[in-house]
Amino acid sequence: MDPDAVAKAFVEHYYSTFDANRAGLVSLYQEGSMLTFEGQKIMGSQNIVAKLTGLPFQQCQHHITTVDCQPSGPAGGMLVFVSGNLQLAGEQHALKFSQMFHLMPTPQGSFYVLNDIFRLNYA
Amino acid sequence: MEEQIEMVGRAFVDHYYHLFDHDRSALGSLYQPSSMLSFEGQKILGVEDISAKFKQLPFDQCLHVISTVDLQPSAVAGGIVVFVSGSLQLQGEDHPLRFSEAFHLIPTGQGSYFLQNDIFRLNYG
Repeated sequence: MDPDAVAKAFVEHYYSTFDANRAGLVSLYQEGSMLTFEGQKIMGSQNIVAKLTGLPFQQCQHHITTVDCQPSGPAGGMLVFVSGNLQLAGEQHALKFSQMFHLMPTPQGSFYVLNDIFRLNYA
Repeated sequence: MEEQIEMVGRAFVDHYYHLFDHDRSALGSLYQPSSMLSFEGQKILGVEDISAKFKQLPFDQCLHVISTVDLQPSAVAGGIVVFVSGSLQLQGEDHPLRFSEAFHLIPTGQGSYFLQNDIFRLNYG
């Protein structure tokens, strides 16, 4: 399958899960996964999902502007770089963000997030 | 182990932008034939084409000022993923451009690292 199409499908799935059912993100991470969220380092799917479900907003919507992807090496991984806007319920202005995912293949033919780095883009 | 990744990654980032700003033609030394650059959505493969792309950028002098550097081990043979954000001041321009860049560093086997992956995006306001 075309890597760009795979990356795009993953990104859509990730953000729609984030926006509709944040706890459902647990299936996209594993024990060895790492998240760096605005500089804070978190390891393992349980802790990562605890961080994300604990964020100080109930509702949010991600709007994706750009998706870039590249194969990351012989293990079949993919680096995906996303930029977009994050609209929080009740806030007037959307926040701009960039996020980098390193996806690794699962034996079942899909991908999980091994590395995840999120940063807001301040003006 | 984690401290080492921090040291190596940050040293690499400093070196990369120093070369970019002061000796752009030497940037090619950080890439290999398998390296990939995505520059504002344009995909470029291999040292020659990547070096040519940098050479052709429509400005002579620039200065990168780095705001954030995040690093994680990538589990690909001792690799490191690096996420950088900062400003890019072009000579003669009033306002700096804001950018984000993702790197994937792989050990060369001779004690240093090369860039297997490089993705660059400007952050528009």
